[in-house]
Amino acid sequence: MVNIRTHNVVKRFGAVVALDKVSLDIKHGEFFTLLGPSGCGKTTFLRSIAGFELIDEGKIFFDDEDVTYVPPHKRNTGMVFQNYALWPHMTVYDNIAYGLRVRKLPKDEIDRRVKWALKLVHLEGFEKRTPHQLSGGQQQRVALARVLVIQPKVLLLDEPLSNLDAKLRIEMRAEIRRLQRELGITTIYVTHDQEEAMSISDKIAVMDHGKVMQVGDPVDIYFHPRNPFVADFIGQGTFIEGSVVDKDEYLLVELEEGLGRVRAVPSRRDVEIDVGDKVLVAIRPESFSISSNKASNRFRVKIYHISFLGNIKRVQAISNGKKFLIDVEPSASFNLDDEIDVYVPYDLTLAIKV
Amino acid sequence: MATLLEEIRRELNELRWQFDLLNWAQLTSVLAVFTFFLIIPVLTIVQASFIYEGRLSLYWFQLILRDPLYLPWKGVGGRLFDVIEYSTETGRQVLIYIEGLDFGVILNSIYVASLTTIFSTAIGFILAFIFAKYKFFGDEVLRILLLAPLLSTPFVGAIGIKKMITSEGVINTLLVDMLGIMPFRLEFTGISAVILVQTLLFYPIAFLNIYTSIINIDPTLEEQAENMGASGFYLFRTVTLPLSMPGVEAGALLVFILSIEDLGTPIVFRGSNADKLMPVFIFRNMFTPTGTIKGDATALSLILLVISATIFIVLRKYISLRRYAMLTKGGVWRPRRRKLGIITTILIYILCISILAVALLPHIGVVLLAFAGEWPSGSLLPTYFTLRNFVKLFTEPGVLRAILNSVVYSSVATILIVLLGVSAAYLVSRVKVKGMEALDTLVTLPIAIPGIIVATGYFLVYIDTPLSPLIWGAPLLIMSYTVRKFPFTVRAVFAGLEQVDKALEESAVNIGASRTKVFFTITLPLIFINILAGGMLSFIYSMSEVSTGIVIGDANHNDAPMTWKMYDMLFKGFGGTFVAAAMGVMLMALQFIMIVASNLLLRKRAVALIGI
Repeated sequence: MVNIRTHNVVKRFGAVVALDKVSLDIKHGEFFTLLGPSGCGKTTFLRSIAGFELIDEGKIFFDDEDVTYVPPHKRNTGMVFQNYALWPHMTVYDNIAYGLRVRKLPKDEIDRRVKWALKLVHLEGFEKRTPHQLSGGQQQRVALARVLVIQPKVLLLDEPLSNLDAKLRIEMRAEIRRLQRELGITTIYVTHDQEEAMSISDKIAVMDHGKVMQVGDPVDIYFHPRNPFVADFIGQGTFIEGSVVDKDEYLLVELEEGLGRVRAVPSRRDVEIDVGDKVLVAIRPESFSISSNKASNRFRVKIYHISFLGNIKRVQAISNGKKFLIDVEPSASFNLDDEIDVYVPYDLTLAIKV
Repeated sequence: MATLLEEIRRELNELRWQFDLLNWAQLTSVLAVFTFFLIIPVLTIVQASFIYEGRLSLYWFQLILRDPLYLPWKGVGGRLFDVIEYSTETGRQVLIYIEGLDFGVILNSIYVASLTTIFSTAIGFILAFIFAKYKFFGDEVLRILLLAPLLSTPFVGAIGIKKMITSEGVINTLLVDMLGIMPFRLEFTGISAVILVQTLLFYPIAFLNIYTSIINIDPTLEEQAENMGASGFYLFRTVTLPLSMPGVEAGALLVFILSIEDLGTPIVFRGSNADKLMPVFIFRNMFTPTGTIKGDATALSLILLVISATIFIVLRKYISLRRYAMLTKGGVWRPRRRKLGIITTILIYILCISILAVALLPHIGVVLLAFAGEWPSGSLLPTYFTLRNFVKLFTEPGVLRAILNSVVYSSVATILIVLLGVSAAYLVSRVKVKGMEALDTLVTLPIAIPGIIVATGYFLVYIDTPLSPLIWGAPLLIMSYTVRKFPFTVRAVFAGLEQVDKALEESAVNIGASRTKVFFTITLPLIFINILAGGMLSFIYSMSEVSTGIVIGDANHNDAPMTWKMYDMLFKGFGGTFVAAAMGVMLMALQFIMIVASNLLLRKRAVALIGI
């Protein structure tokens, strides 16, 4: 169990800056997720931690040890690759025993620990199988066992669920989280799936173009985005540009497209917004209601699409050319082209500094 | 300036990071072998070409470029064909004697290679298209039969076909004398015979390359075009053909290089204008009476080198062997192949069997010669068959020794090729440092360097050293096989490495194995089959190597390999041809066994492999 700290890590591939001064602090036993679109640098960061990429600038620390120039095979990290990378010429047992044999452990010790790892991932009795005799989920478990058996300082997971079907993905998600809790191992998890990130992580770092846009726990990231990118990337919503014209208990924002004025709160307390600032007003779909209550902003919108998602109906509507996403009760009976009034409490109308 | 230093610092850092001790050892040994046995000999030729009487001079080039022997200053020599009428006991005979025009040594080589390339590619393309696009009864068997000429070396094939295409040869005897269906006799010799033989020998290379690229076209690309209304020739012209072009171009350029450097074919047609092709001409005129290398021979070598190197650069730069390897990598989909009706199947059979009948002439000729007791000209078959020629492999002075020499040299060369080839392929594929591209080019370069040039270079560099071929032929022959046949194994191993996901290696590093450990426990076991197949290819290619073999063999008969002995026997008159043919049959049998074995090992991957 270690604390992992990076300081101003820079990695370039030719002219492309894959990591741009990335400084992160990942605590003991934390489940830390790197989230971002493809090409944002999240995998490069993971590979830098594992030592597969030599960083151009900056430092990487495991606790107080500077590992920046430690070669990958001496870092004692446990990385699970996207496609599991099980060795096809070895049995399950040999795959898992590999790291122990490299460490020249005594035979009975190896045997004991391989058995332990197989039990941990519920694969007792699969020792003699070869990787191609396993299902995707089983391969995943072997890949996990193979790294957990060496008791790594940190578990590194590179989109480990992306090759599984939807149902298995949710099952394995819980399984990974259970293992991580049981072993208390510091874990860095890479994904582009924001729902997956939300459901599994203690903490999330949202990345874009090699930069960390925001670090926080899932609730914080969802309700208090630091910038428009994070607001847009995490979850869905209605986004309208505007500028602050007045400020009291709330910000008074003049919206573009002639949508009038709304009262809003800054998305984050630690970001100062002044009169005259350009802001992006963000409203999550579930923040809308169709009945008025006090201290609400009102919009008149015209419905152009309704999708039934089971637990809710998601309404797509338009007002002065701006698209609105509104969640309503599944029983609500609207028709296309209906014009309706929707309300958002001031406190759920977020102003994000542009 | 600061950014440049920064850049250098970063590269050095990266270098230190990426390379471990094993990599350094691998890199150094590959570079050492290529420096001493390819780069230095070739550079020495360049240097020698520009030196006359101890001074820097263009003398040799002026000598060559003014001489009507090399360029057609006194007009075009030779005749495309002659019609000769003569009387024999059986009556009046008409002989059409086709030799080909003589434009001087330099242009001859170029036009022979060009025509061979055009004919081979045309045949290769038609066949590739038929077999890649249509399904019919017996297609697999027919396809493999059509690749049969791969089993031969030009040297062996030329011996066989020579027996077939002379005026009193098998074809004329059969068609004119016995069946009477041809009103005149036909004889190919000289340049025209070289083009004929080379086309028959090299079309399978074009065929394989084009076939591979067509079957690797993602079928959905064609389906999409059909979906949008394209069909028939339009579909072919707009989608299929452009997508198969890398294969067509790669095949054509390879054929051109193989043809222009081929020494084994023209050497068989000694005494005709085939002597006026660059490799043979250099071979026959390279030594002064005192045993040193002539300046005009080195200058001509340089001209030959420039031509083949230019083609090679085009191949690398615009088509890129590597991209081509990628192209042939896929193949998870089922190629779209239409089932043919009976009539078209019959038509295709007629076409293929005609091609086969001609293409297999050399092989039939060699096999018949090998078992012939006596075979007077004008006789369709040998007068009697015997195993005597094979017995002579053991009894004829020098033959067994030459065969054993070849086996030893080729075995040692194969071991070196495998060790160094795996190293080079591994470095190119896995170590991401600037300059690895150059290593890739270096180890593929031997394809572009005609064997006669390597041989000339060796004489220039090593004649006064302990490695002198006059003292001991083995070291230089082994090294020439190693360097010249290197690209084939590297390609095979590289193709294997590209199919091994890098994550398989990284995951082993990640849990504590050093890169060296990973190389031996993960990488090697995963590409073992490719190494084995590549090694077998190198072995048979080494066994049938002609150029350096006969140049060094000519200088040192005791240490000569079997290809030299075949050449020697061929012109020894009486019975020599039969023994040479027996050696050829032995080589073919060996090649057959190895290619079948490597095909079994590699299964589907073999197609991409032999196509290099």
